[in-house]
Amino acid sequence: MLTCKQVSNTLSEEDYEKLSPLRKCLLKLHVKLCIFCGTFNRQVMDNQDMCRHFMAHEESSPNQAALDEDKKDELKALLAAHSTGVKED
Amino acid sequence: MAELSHPKVEIAQPDTWVDRYGNYLFAYAMSRLRNREAASDCVQDTFLAGIKSLDRFDGSRDIKFWLRGIMHNKIVDQIRKSIKENKVNIDNEDEALLESFWFRYSGIATTNPEPWQFNPRKAYDNTEFWDVFKTCIDQVKEPARQAFVLRMLEDLKTEEVCKVMDITPNYLWVLLHRARQQLKVALEQKWTGKDVK
Repeated sequence: MLTCKQVSNTLSEEDYEKLSPLRKCLLKLHVKLCIFCGTFNRQVMDNQDMCRHFMAHEESSPNQAALDEDKKDELKALLAAHSTGVKED
Repeated sequence: MAELSHPKVEIAQPDTWVDRYGNYLFAYAMSRLRNREAASDCVQDTFLAGIKSLDRFDGSRDIKFWLRGIMHNKIVDQIRKSIKENKVNIDNEDEALLESFWFRYSGIATTNPEPWQFNPRKAYDNTEFWDVFKTCIDQVKEPARQAFVLRMLEDLKTEEVCKVMDITPNYLWVLLHRARQQLKVALEQKWTGKDVK
């Protein structure tokens, strides 16, 4: 059986979804039953879930921020100059 | 059974990168750094580093993800640079938290945190929620925001974050706790009322 400190330390170090099935099971059981750390650590796990979903959403949705056109032109010129330099090497 | 090798994907040439990946990488950098100039610099540094090491790219996946991997390092470098300019210092309230009974006994801040005013899981399929989420992360005060970005969004290990920010693991715990608190309060303020229960 895990202690509260072990559960909190584990959640500080790792995403609970990435734990081995046994460790994940023991951790979730402790969090479900413990009257001391359960509520707090459930919110830590909620936050991990939220970040995971956010990152999945980032990958799958269209870009909202865009480079300025001036900056794009500047980058294109820079990359062209560097690419040419590489080819000549 | 014969092992399948990864099929090689066509490698987009550097002269196409700005149009193909510029906005993608810029959006990623903006969400982490919250500063257009820093994000643009990151994109530039990423592309230049990509050209320099293109001969080491094996073509086993879309080059977009390889460039994103380079950008991850550039983002960490930007945050490290920003921290050097504004050194992180623990304050009295944070020290008190680390000395508290519950932290020393259970590694937690309180046995009784405020419950969520809405069920965030119900909002995960709503694109508008993630726009609000991004806005709320932007509002988290530094250095808690930087700690949150490095640990929770860039998935750096505790030791790595502590090295970048020049802080102890215990203080990282405090910063992440502060970030979670501020994020929760901000999400509840901005989202409550929009959620369909």
